[in-house]
Amino acid sequence: MTIQKTLQGSALTVAPEGRLDTITSPQLESELRADMNSVTDLVFDLANLTYISSAGLRVLLSAQKAMNKKGTMVLRNVKPEIMEIFEITGFSSILTIE
Amino acid sequence: MQTKKTISGTFLKWLLLIVGVAFAVSMVFSWTLQTRLSEKSAHNLLRLNIADVRQDVIDASDANLLALTRDIAAEIDLGAPTDESGLLTLMAHHDIAEINIIDANGIITSTTHPDFLNYDMRSGKQSSEFLGLLAGTEREHVQSYQPTSYDPTLLRKYAGVCLAGGGFVEVAYDAERFQRDIDHQIVGVTRNRHVGENGCIIIADENWRIVSDRRENEGANLVATGIWIDRDTMPEGDVFTATVYGEDSSCMYVFSEGYYIIAVLPENEILLQRDTSVGLTAVLEVLVFLTLFGVIFLLVRKLVVNNLNRVNTSLSKITDGDLEEKVDVRSNTEFASLSDDINATVGTLKQYISAAEARIDRELALAKSIQQSALPSVFPPYPDRTDLSLYATMDAAKEVGGDFYDFYLLDENRLAFLVADVSGKGIPAAMFMMTGKTVLRDYAERGDSPAEIAENANEKLCEGNDAEMFVTAWMGFLETDTGLVRFVNAGHNPPVLIRDGEATFIRQKANLTLAAMEGVPYREQTLQLRPGDLLFLYTDGVTEAANENEELFGNDRLQKALSKRFGSGEAAVRAVCGTVKEAIDAFTGDAPQFDDITMLCLYYAGNAPAANAPQETTGASVIGDALTVTAKADELPAVTGFVNRSLESFGCPEKTTAQIDVAVEEIFTNIASYAYEGEPGEVTIRVREEDSAAVIEFRDRGAAFDPLAKPDPDVTLSADEREIGGLGIFMVKKSMDDVSYKRENDENVLTIRKNFTK
Repeated sequence: MTIQKTLQGSALTVAPEGRLDTITSPQLESELRADMNSVTDLVFDLANLTYISSAGLRVLLSAQKAMNKKGTMVLRNVKPEIMEIFEITGFSSILTIE
Repeated sequence: MQTKKTISGTFLKWLLLIVGVAFAVSMVFSWTLQTRLSEKSAHNLLRLNIADVRQDVIDASDANLLALTRDIAAEIDLGAPTDESGLLTLMAHHDIAEINIIDANGIITSTTHPDFLNYDMRSGKQSSEFLGLLAGTEREHVQSYQPTSYDPTLLRKYAGVCLAGGGFVEVAYDAERFQRDIDHQIVGVTRNRHVGENGCIIIADENWRIVSDRRENEGANLVATGIWIDRDTMPEGDVFTATVYGEDSSCMYVFSEGYYIIAVLPENEILLQRDTSVGLTAVLEVLVFLTLFGVIFLLVRKLVVNNLNRVNTSLSKITDGDLEEKVDVRSNTEFASLSDDINATVGTLKQYISAAEARIDRELALAKSIQQSALPSVFPPYPDRTDLSLYATMDAAKEVGGDFYDFYLLDENRLAFLVADVSGKGIPAAMFMMTGKTVLRDYAERGDSPAEIAENANEKLCEGNDAEMFVTAWMGFLETDTGLVRFVNAGHNPPVLIRDGEATFIRQKANLTLAAMEGVPYREQTLQLRPGDLLFLYTDGVTEAANENEELFGNDRLQKALSKRFGSGEAAVRAVCGTVKEAIDAFTGDAPQFDDITMLCLYYAGNAPAANAPQETTGASVIGDALTVTAKADELPAVTGFVNRSLESFGCPEKTTAQIDVAVEEIFTNIASYAYEGEPGEVTIRVREEDSAAVIEFRDRGAAFDPLAKPDPDVTLSADEREIGGLGIFMVKKSMDDVSYKRENDENVLTIRKNFTK
């Protein structure tokens, strides 16, 4: 799993590639925590994310909670199989998916 | 088939023929010569004997007549009347044929034969011989029996003796008279005379009455002996043949003093002489020819046949491949020259062969080095990478072979590695190997999956594979971040996985070898590597290395050699290859290496450096359809990999596999987090297919806990209201068709079921 991050002022775009599972989720979490303080616009580009488990959902939920307090969070290019998991878990209603 | 004659046999035959002809010619010559010599000597013998006897006869008659004449001369000198009647009285007294008185002038003055009165002794040749008595040159004279000068039809023998009163008296008698006087002497002449060994002299008078004969046939007619003499056709002194006393004989006669003197020599005796000579010559010749024959035959044997045999013996050795053999027959110039020529020819041949060998060796060496240089040979190949180490060797046999290995990074996270073996050896195998290696790499770099690569490469290699070669190959793609190896096995030896010091063969059903048949599908399989794992690939040169007793190294020895801990990283991969090589060398001893020995070893360290440390506490083992791993989140890739491999083999669609993956992760993470409450423990996962459904069972020996009993989270709550966690099991329940929990034998057993359509 690789994570590409693009920070422009207070706007941060994060693009994780591959699998977001129990093992890799901590990696994404630590990456986000590093920049979260200054960010107001958080964008997740999930074009290359092929797999997500509850561990990944947890990271997304934490991020959403954090951003609810100080800005916006958007998910883009979500693949159908990821979308299906968002639907099952009700995350589709709490996340902003474009 | 015609049988070939030996030289000595042919020589023997011709020598015999020549000797035989020479013998016959010399015999004929000798026979002719000896016949002539014998005849000549026989004739000489006859002639000599006749001459002897004739002289004896003449001597006897001469002496007889002279004695009579002397008596008469003495009587006249004493005064006996010399008129006709006085002479007739003397003639009658002495029983002789004639008495003449010749005066000093050579005229017959008184005679018993009236016709001779006044006959001049000078008027005839026969009578004039007596004139020496008148000249005083001799006192008495005697003549042989011959015709008289006065009347040639009258044959007489005369003797003359000088008278005291001058002139001389001449006395004559005829043959009958003197033969009567001397016959008794003549008889003795032949008695002890031999002609040769058994020959004889026969004397007969004018009337063929035998006078003297060794067989005492005196008085018989000559015809009784078998001799017939015709004086008109048979000259005196010539040899004639007659059967004398029953024996074929050579004969000769003379007529002298009224006698036939006949010498007889039996033919047998003449021929005996000749036959003895010829026989002796024959014996001598046979001896000489035998000696000559023997000497020549031995010489031929010694000089030709024996030498030829020696040359042949050497040539046989040379023909059998011993080019070091030298022909060394130096007993004569010809064979010395032949030996030198053969040695020179073999020498030249050797040069050509060694030149050709050198050229082939060079070309093979060149081919070998081209082949070697086609294989990646820089180790470590990726010194900057900490997640993997790799080492490979190809130990070629004497010939160029068809083994190869290869590896390359397809991208940052994918390493392709393979080991392959082309059937056969030599240049064809090497060329096919180069093609195979290139084709596999081309398709790999194009982005094909291992199965696609195998299928495409198979099609490509089948094209124009007239030599009917084939390739076994094991090719894997390692995903360096997860440790998952997607591989395809085309009829190759199963690789060995070394995990925690235990070596196990990765035995899965293999596909057909490459280049064997067109249109064959190749199935991809997966293998989950855990950090610390070593994967060892090899060719059959390893397991089929033979020792001097022709025993094979075999799988068991390989497994034993690899069942130990090799450490990690670069050192480990080198140690694995080195260990196997040492084990093979120790096993084979001095037996030559027949096949290439090719090995490739991969060490997987994984992404997280920390994962290397607790190697020994982790452990996953696949037994049948079950995977047992340590209950730690780190083992997730192994579990996912194991489950996915099974699902793939069931033909489970990707989408369903993705859903099951999430469920498996959730359940495994749950067990890892709670089951053993921080203590080490194990989880066993089983996957099976059941009525178009995948059934996965998780067993752990942790504290009894039913995750399903927990209430579901409220998914309608807003983000801020939602709890972090508790979602996992809910997701499992939602995505799976059935989820059940039971406690069995002190184990928690959680089973999930997901239907799918292929």
